[in-house]
Amino acid sequence: MYTFRPFLVKLVPKVRLKGLTLVGTIMVLFTVFLAILAPILTPYDPTKSVDLSLQPPSWKHPFGTNKVGQDMWSRTVYGARTILAVVFLSTIVSIVIGVPLGLVSGYVGGILDRVLAMIMDAMYAFPGLILAIAIAAAMGPGIINTAVSIAIVYVPTYFRMVRGQTLSIKEQLYVEAARAIGAKPLTILTRYVFPNVVSVIAVVFTLSVADVVLTEAALSFFGLSVPAPTPDWGFDLKAGHPYLLSGYWWLITFPGLMIMILAVGFTFIGEGVAEYLGAREVKI
Amino acid sequence: MTRIFSETEVASLKAFIIARALALIPTVLILITLVFFVMRVLPGDPVIAIVGMKAPPERVIELKKELGLMDQAGNPIPLPIQYLNYLSKLVRGDFGRSLIWGKRPVLVEIMEHFPATVELAIAGFIVSIILGLVLGSLGGWMGGKTSSAVKTYGAITYALFIPWIGMLFQLFFAVWLGILPVAGRIDTGLEPPTITGLYLIDSMITGRWDSFISALRHIMLPAITLGLVISGVFTRVTRTSVEEVMRQDFVVAARARGIPEHKILLHVLKNSFVPILTMMGLQLALLMTGAVLTETTFSWPGMGTFLLERIQYRDYTTVQGTVVFFAIIVSLVNLIVDICYAYIDPRIRY
Amino acid sequence: MAEPLLNIKNLKTYYFTESGVVKAVDDVTLGMRKGELLGLVGESGSGKSTLGLSIIRLIPPPGKIIDGSVFLDNIDLMKLSEKELRKIRGRRIGMIFQDPLTCLDPLRRIEDQMVETVMVHMDVERDDAREMAAKALERVGISGDRLKDYPHQLSGGMRQRAMIAMATMLHPELLIADEPTTALDVIVQSRIMDLLEDLKESMKMSILLITHDLALVIERADRVAVMYAGELCEVGTSEQISQDPLHPYTKLLLESIPDVEAPKTKLKSIPGNPPDMRSPPSGCRFWPRCPYAKDLCKKTPPRFIELDGRIVRCHLYEEGEKS
Repeated sequence: MYTFRPFLVKLVPKVRLKGLTLVGTIMVLFTVFLAILAPILTPYDPTKSVDLSLQPPSWKHPFGTNKVGQDMWSRTVYGARTILAVVFLSTIVSIVIGVPLGLVSGYVGGILDRVLAMIMDAMYAFPGLILAIAIAAAMGPGIINTAVSIAIVYVPTYFRMVRGQTLSIKEQLYVEAARAIGAKPLTILTRYVFPNVVSVIAVVFTLSVADVVLTEAALSFFGLSVPAPTPDWGFDLKAGHPYLLSGYWWLITFPGLMIMILAVGFTFIGEGVAEYLGAREVKI
Repeated sequence: MTRIFSETEVASLKAFIIARALALIPTVLILITLVFFVMRVLPGDPVIAIVGMKAPPERVIELKKELGLMDQAGNPIPLPIQYLNYLSKLVRGDFGRSLIWGKRPVLVEIMEHFPATVELAIAGFIVSIILGLVLGSLGGWMGGKTSSAVKTYGAITYALFIPWIGMLFQLFFAVWLGILPVAGRIDTGLEPPTITGLYLIDSMITGRWDSFISALRHIMLPAITLGLVISGVFTRVTRTSVEEVMRQDFVVAARARGIPEHKILLHVLKNSFVPILTMMGLQLALLMTGAVLTETTFSWPGMGTFLLERIQYRDYTTVQGTVVFFAIIVSLVNLIVDICYAYIDPRIRY
Repeated sequence: MAEPLLNIKNLKTYYFTESGVVKAVDDVTLGMRKGELLGLVGESGSGKSTLGLSIIRLIPPPGKIIDGSVFLDNIDLMKLSEKELRKIRGRRIGMIFQDPLTCLDPLRRIEDQMVETVMVHMDVERDDAREMAAKALERVGISGDRLKDYPHQLSGGMRQRAMIAMATMLHPELLIADEPTTALDVIVQSRIMDLLEDLKESMKMSILLITHDLALVIERADRVAVMYAGELCEVGTSEQISQDPLHPYTKLLLESIPDVEAPKTKLKSIPGNPPDMRSPPSGCRFWPRCPYAKDLCKKTPPRFIELDGRIVRCHLYEEGEKS
């Protein structure tokens, strides 16, 4: 991994320069900040009923209370933990499955590659959310299950990019040279191909993570994510929706706003990265 | 601009269509297989989930036979055979039967909800195209600050969470202003006679203008919500595409021949259209996703609401059938888009 | 045929980029006569293409024509409205470009593009326009039934001919040719040049041939103008330039033309690099690479001197400084 750190060091300062990217980074960091400091920032337990239901925002409850009497501020802050946990968990799983598959498929080629690529392409063309719904419905609720459902949907994305990158690197002269001196395929993959692929992984991540956030929000909106008392923005949106008509606006505004901040923040970062890379159309 | 196709052109277009249609089959097959194994392999035991832990054994066996897990004699069917049985039924149009209520054929139930989704999808698509093409062309043509503003618009709209935006619209237009309905597809009792299943079309054909107005009022907020979020991608692609084409030499060469700007703009748009069309095809997935979210927010009685309702009821056969149906529709539409693509750009066919 | 056709006076075209102002064309005065082939020669970055584009005001942003006039007969093209200018483009002045593939709309047939040109300028029936297009193609040596083809179906040389046909079909008085043969192989290049010369004769058309290839220009042009770093260095007939070059840059350019018959020696090139046009050298812009450079050259830009019917801008030729 000798190229890993130099790449990161190179990437970070340049990207910070642009206005929008900076805004995006702040938005994401803000959410992370909420997640990490949740216990300090919130006076109430988000899973317990602490007051009368459906209270409008007040000094005691800045974001009001919901039907069950839970403090919306606490739920919103803790909700950051849930969503970030699912997002990062599912990303790790997607990478752990998609990247090696992409590497092997791209490098080995042949029938394995053709079949695998066809499967991945078919999955890629299919609406991700619907697939995630099907898998999540089949697996049942829970953080791990949700993360896995989402992960499966994004495996083709990582697979494709890694495979594409592998294919082009495979033809490079220095790889042929390595083969000529008798290096084993595994060595070639780890020493030569992988380090070059790492940058692609980072790019795929920044460009698709906003999507992952929205998918998780959607799953929790449908009640297919984490189970009930766990604070979850999508779930709160769904729960608060029926009361909208009666004018209880605070139930949905804040969780929804947070989803937006996180998703838009990641999107801005993704835009910055794409521009930094010379706006080469990185097709996700 | 008339297009007269030479014989060779028609032949190559035909060949292209056939080749693409054939390629469709493995894709759909893969998706069906994937869904099948996900639904059959992953759950703990769907049977227990459906009937509960305390169900009598006869009930369990009866259910297993219904689900195709067991044959009539009571022997468990191995998974591969289950798969083949399922496939053979699908080919004949048998998507299975619902596990709840009247055990109606899944396909029939799907088709009852399909037109609503189609109507919403088309409406949303139209809104997104209008927004996307107009804003994107503007940004691409004018460049500079307009271009940056359009780019930011594209980035933000893509990241909008549909249910939240929908709810905000509901709050503003329906609750606070009260000028548009909050949810639903039409006022009860005003449904037009069913010809296409699309209320707007049907009411126009049969001249039921009260139905038409009602349907129009109900579709406005969902269509705008969906269209707004989808438009982000279109805007971005249109803008990039127009910008790139503008930089091409034939624009300068055309100007050098004295061709007026509005004619050049038309040619630029036509040239920009090819990547836009490709994107349109790719956006089908996004459109479906968006439609599902929009439907649940606005209680729109389409396939999205249907799917989620059946998930709540653990009606696994229906859920499986619906997802398979989605797969087929998506693949078919992609095929049509590819064909349109080849029609417009003659370079693709050869 | 020494009647004047085009008169470029003190033309200045600058590009206002993020990293600075590029003075691509800096105060250029040049005249063209009817029926002549004028070769405009220079390295890339010399501003020759910009000059060509400036004549019909096709400069894209961030570029802008800041000053100067371009007289076609008595009309200053810089003062015309867009609408009036469009009548001139394609009709009285035509332009062809380096890469014919990208200059033709790939999604439309040749015929449609040619017919459109005609219909924009003349009030004729579509069928008549089609006939004119067919004739124009035949004049450049392409059979009329290729009208229905798409650009990608023609070979490189044919595409260039089609472009020439399109640019000349309305019999313009001037054809601006921006590197028309650079993208072609030598044999095709020769044929295209023959075609251009033919058209020049038969249509009594002047041609402004913009190129970096001095040898080509000496071979084919009546007069030659040499440009460097946005300014003109020397203008003269092709005999004068090839046999008795005055400006040091012209001399170096001539020396760098490889001679097939000469004994094998190292290829001569001009030492140094073209200047950064955002901050060109002071005084005479060529002084960093000029073997005759003096202190005067670094401080004061030279004036135009008339000598034997030619023009040269160099301190060497100012009164009392004959080399």
